[in-house]
Amino acid sequence: MAGLLDKRLWIVSGKGGVGKTTVAAALALASVRAGRRTLVCEVNTQERVSRLLERPEAGPEVKLLEENLWAVDVRPQEAMREYGLMVLRFETLYKTVFENRLVRYFLRFIPSLQELVLLGKILFHLQEKLPDGRWKYDTLVLDAPATGHAISFLSVPQVLLQTVPPGPMTREALKMRDLLVDPTVTAAVLVALPEEMPVNEALELHAALKDRVHIRTHAAVLNQAFPQRFTEADLEALAGHPELKRVAQAHHDRASQAVLAGTKLERNLHAPVYTVPRLFVPSFGREAVETVMGHLNALVTGGTGA
Amino acid sequence: MTALQAALANKRVLICVGSGGVGKTTVAATLALRAAVDGRPSIVCTIDPAKRLANSLGLSGLGNTEAEVPASALEPLGVTPKAALHAMMLDMKATWDDLITRVAPPEQRERIFANRFYQSLSTALAGSQEYIAMEKVWDLRRRTDYELVVLDTPPTAHALDFLDAPNRVLDFLDNEAAKWLLTPALKAGKVGLSLFNLGGSYVTRALSRFTGTEMLQELSSFMLTLSSMNEGFRERARGVRELLEDKSTGFVLVTSPNPERLDEAIHFHKLLRQNRMEMTAIVVNRVHPLPTQAEWADAATLTPTRRAKVEETLRELQVLAQQDLEGMAQLRAACPGTPLIQVPRFGLDVHDLVALWGTGRYLLGDDVLA
Repeated sequence: MAGLLDKRLWIVSGKGGVGKTTVAAALALASVRAGRRTLVCEVNTQERVSRLLERPEAGPEVKLLEENLWAVDVRPQEAMREYGLMVLRFETLYKTVFENRLVRYFLRFIPSLQELVLLGKILFHLQEKLPDGRWKYDTLVLDAPATGHAISFLSVPQVLLQTVPPGPMTREALKMRDLLVDPTVTAAVLVALPEEMPVNEALELHAALKDRVHIRTHAAVLNQAFPQRFTEADLEALAGHPELKRVAQAHHDRASQAVLAGTKLERNLHAPVYTVPRLFVPSFGREAVETVMGHLNALVTGGTGA
Repeated sequence: MTALQAALANKRVLICVGSGGVGKTTVAATLALRAAVDGRPSIVCTIDPAKRLANSLGLSGLGNTEAEVPASALEPLGVTPKAALHAMMLDMKATWDDLITRVAPPEQRERIFANRFYQSLSTALAGSQEYIAMEKVWDLRRRTDYELVVLDTPPTAHALDFLDAPNRVLDFLDNEAAKWLLTPALKAGKVGLSLFNLGGSYVTRALSRFTGTEMLQELSSFMLTLSSMNEGFRERARGVRELLEDKSTGFVLVTSPNPERLDEAIHFHKLLRQNRMEMTAIVVNRVHPLPTQAEWADAATLTPTRRAKVEETLRELQVLAQQDLEGMAQLRAACPGTPLIQVPRFGLDVHDLVALWGTGRYLLGDDVLA
């Protein structure tokens, strides 16, 4: 199985609350560990990657967190400004147009313009080069929005190409789409918890990415899985201790659920599933992210799943 | 009387908000269920319930319509509801289409449905899902006899999208800029030329460099078509905004106790307060209870291998419970004056009526997490 290192844009998504940001941070660290200049992007949210890695906040401008690791929180206002400047070239022209009340009003109603500029900024960084011609960032890890929003976010170029008459916006959209659908560039990593809804959402997301955006699912991460601990004999032996039996049974049920979830994901995604065990640590910071990274090594460097 | 008991007895609309994956749907369904059992005809509008939850509410295979949850479905609870419980699954696209059908002059409808901007307005525009969900609640309040409508909101990418949605629609219709843009063309009976009444102005030319000329023309033509529905739209959008601020409307903020969800909840709470929305309660879902002394003592009596396994499990639960306790303290400090209600983590997902009933016992204070 080829690892993620064969690709440059790693898109991490899944249902809300499944630990996408943790997985994105762990993958970014693994990329750095493989010697690659890595940029991790969050999209218009409360920035969390830098905090998880115990570094100062990056904010809306690309910022170096540590050697070979950069982060940015892509926000609409700043992205719009950069995009506007790119198209309109001159600061004064930008100001005249974008600080015009009428124009600002009008722009709000152009469908998907906000998503377009956010995605545009991200894909712009993907193509940035150093003076010597090498990529400025070898890997770009995108901590994408949750399922529904991820689908509409990533399909913005396609939707625009179908909706909007040809012009500068569609030219941008075409470039973006070509990057997203290129399997040598882009790979999606879907994160799920061993529960019904997160697994179903991962399957839906997989189908939507494949059919509507033409992005391939590279792998799934089954996060916070409980390992098997109690045997049937254990449970029987606890019959005389109802409270403890309840505790053991709950653990047993969650462990079984993890096995079922893993099987369901593997069968339906036709992609490998990497399991990350539930961590029991007082606070979730860099150390925890590094532990998660350990479980995702094979996903990044290739080889068989953990 | 606890905060949610009072709300279930007196409110007309309860809106469950919060980030994705925290159990909003479960809380919304539970609140409507309890209100119906207590004698108030209720309806829960959910967005995309888990299949088993949908099945147990009799929602499977239903479109965008209200359905009564059959009394037989409630039998396993051993309670006889004093009023009917209804449920519906909101289909965003269908709700937008209904709205246009109600508001648009008949001769305009087809033109709107076929417009490519409309198609993305109803499915992709930020805030549009949030707006249409609110619009549905407003519509139900006006047209029907439910004493309580509970809304399970779409998973919001950004808290502001939700609060801003009716304002966006109202702005669109009431904005001076829009009037200035559209009025001359309306008077002249022209479509699509108004924007260029500005002439080849510097701003218009620069803007079209950004979007393309055709795009501007087509969008302004769409806005003109919509403007023919101004009155109907404006009335409804205003109704939606009033409903958000009405005394009989309450917000229930749902969260789970892990740090990243809590940050979002605190942010959401702040925004709701700033916007003068009434915060009925914060529900903290899936809280881990601390293992008891009795459990530790009991574990010590087991054979060594089993004792080790059980004690490890208790230790893990203790870590989780302590994290949750810290989270609760943080939440309490950040949201003074808003009642906090804790619901424990149940063994498995809450997906059937019996489990909903169990959740309800905690929501309404019959059971309290120690």
